[in-house]
Amino acid sequence: MAAKAKRQWPFWEFTLIVAILGAGAWSSTLSPYYLSVDQLFGSTRAFIIPGLLALGLAVVVSLGEIDISLASIIAVGTVTLSKFSAAGVPLGVSAPIVVAIGALCGAFNGLLVAKWRLPSLAVTLGTMGAYRGLAFIIGSEVGYTDFDDSYLWLGSEYIFHGIVPVSLIVFALMAILVWFLMHRTVYGRRCFSIGLNTDASWFAGVDVTETKIRAYALAGALAGLAAIVWIGQYGSARGDNADGSILFVVTAVVLGGIDINGGRGTISGVVLALFLLGTIRNGMGLANIGGPTQTVVLGSLLVAGVLRPAAAAALARLSNPARLKAAGPQGVESSGQE
Amino acid sequence: MKSKILAALGAALLVVGLAAAPALAQQKTSGFKLMMTPKWTGFPYFELTGEGAKAAATELGDTLVYAGADHAEVSLQVETLQNFVTQKPDGIILAAIDLNAVAPVLKDARKKGIVVGTYDADAAVPARDLFVNQLSYEQAARVMLDAALIDAPEGGEIAFIAASPTSPNHMAHIKIMTDLTQKDAKYKVFKPVDTQFANDDDAKSYDVAVNLMQAHPNLKVIISSSAVSAPSAARAIEATGHVGKVWATGFALPSAIKRYLENGSEKAFAFWDPWELGYVAAYAVHQKLAGKFEPTEGAVLDVPKAGKFTTFKDGEVVYGKPLIFTKETVGKYNF
Repeated sequence: MAAKAKRQWPFWEFTLIVAILGAGAWSSTLSPYYLSVDQLFGSTRAFIIPGLLALGLAVVVSLGEIDISLASIIAVGTVTLSKFSAAGVPLGVSAPIVVAIGALCGAFNGLLVAKWRLPSLAVTLGTMGAYRGLAFIIGSEVGYTDFDDSYLWLGSEYIFHGIVPVSLIVFALMAILVWFLMHRTVYGRRCFSIGLNTDASWFAGVDVTETKIRAYALAGALAGLAAIVWIGQYGSARGDNADGSILFVVTAVVLGGIDINGGRGTISGVVLALFLLGTIRNGMGLANIGGPTQTVVLGSLLVAGVLRPAAAAALARLSNPARLKAAGPQGVESSGQE
Repeated sequence: MKSKILAALGAALLVVGLAAAPALAQQKTSGFKLMMTPKWTGFPYFELTGEGAKAAATELGDTLVYAGADHAEVSLQVETLQNFVTQKPDGIILAAIDLNAVAPVLKDARKKGIVVGTYDADAAVPARDLFVNQLSYEQAARVMLDAALIDAPEGGEIAFIAASPTSPNHMAHIKIMTDLTQKDAKYKVFKPVDTQFANDDDAKSYDVAVNLMQAHPNLKVIISSSAVSAPSAARAIEATGHVGKVWATGFALPSAIKRYLENGSEKAFAFWDPWELGYVAAYAVHQKLAGKFEPTEGAVLDVPKAGKFTTFKDGEVVYGKPLIFTKETVGKYNF
């Protein structure tokens, strides 16, 4: 294992770390308010919700599929929580139910994609609208804000002398969990193998349908968890919650090095990409740089993320043409399943 | 002896001066740091409110930063506000996307002594010090119905387009307009038949307007409080050959509906002066910081260049200067 890890220089992760440090240094020159411990920890709160979605989406994308309905599942989750809070149900009961509802919404996506072999972009575009509509129906016409304090804890409290947001700890735990699942279990290997070659995986005895449905259910469950964080962070449940946040999520996954066609990538890359995007946005925000400029930067990073595998392959060809011939094009890049 | 007395006097003065210094610092009357965020940047309406606020800040000797995301997404607005609070301003001015979602960060800002003023769209009352409302809900409802009367003096069926069921001002306008058509003799000629939602989206508003005309053959006026939907409805009326049979009205920027007023396919739209609204909002926050204005019920905000504005319950300062644009007057406005 160690020998293999040594040979496969995790080039992209190191690039991301260097970029994060660079962005941090740049941000501290942009704004005198950037470098303070409270500020740095506090600013991570803005990325917990897209971060949880990105972890789930990374699993789905590793299969070569996509799910753009995740933000709508958050809205279903928040309005459901508002009903539970209004009915006086304790969070200990309602939280697992909301996570289960999220998983169910995700599993439904997975069923359509895997069982009936429908294109995932079309399926989740449809359910994106359907779940959003469902959220408006459950949430009725007005937003709900009268949450019981216990519902707000996860998304609004800080621990360790009021510096570290609880939601950041939740995110860290989930990141470790998903990392373990994808890089240390048979399930993770199956996901990457399906992403590389679905037919070959099927012939090898992998239950493709079940693996995909589980991945979608996991992404949905994480969106359900994100809904609980949302309630604490914003204290407001409305049908339009989290509308329009999917660009950031997809950018984090792709920039993190998950191949958009599936089969390659690492969860640590996704987490690092989230930190990079977060650092850049925090710095630009503190420097009061306009929204359009920020969107251009975000979009450029998405393009950079998509171009990365091609650029890496070209680079490898230049530096080591002989090895390429021996290994074939697939051998050049790290397969992410180390 | 004399010199001793003088020295004592000097020392006394110094002590008094030192004691007075913090008090003087609290009574600062200028040089405040104001930060402003609209619902989203880049839209001419909000850019004008920003320019108005900047003009007020410059006149009053303050600095004003205007920033925000380029689309109306509440989590981005909260992030912007969080960044503002980190920069320790004296005052924050905003148009809230979701009145409750911005409340936690604004409450935190107020705890740190920052004065929070909203304009255009309010935040939850405990989360801000004052709200400069462009028009009271009733004023807005009346001015839109007045514009509809210019379109169709004989009355008839009317339909509404709102952004979404969660947009508080649009829904309140529709409720009051519906009430007025039942209770106020002036507006009894109108009969509301439908309400549709278009999310402040141009293409969707167009489709909704077309559907409304198909669903209600006797429809006379389409009314929308959305500055996006009202011009789209005018375009739909023109494109589907309903000119002269159906009219669009409501709130719209003059630049967006000038064409329709000038070619006669529409007769009247309503709005207010966004530049002056931003000017008054910044003025109000400055005066509160300077200790010259306390937004309690009945208090009057005196803005020399714009007028005197009364404060209502819960710190709501009503700007309340509606404008109606017609073919004759629309050319006068440059926004």
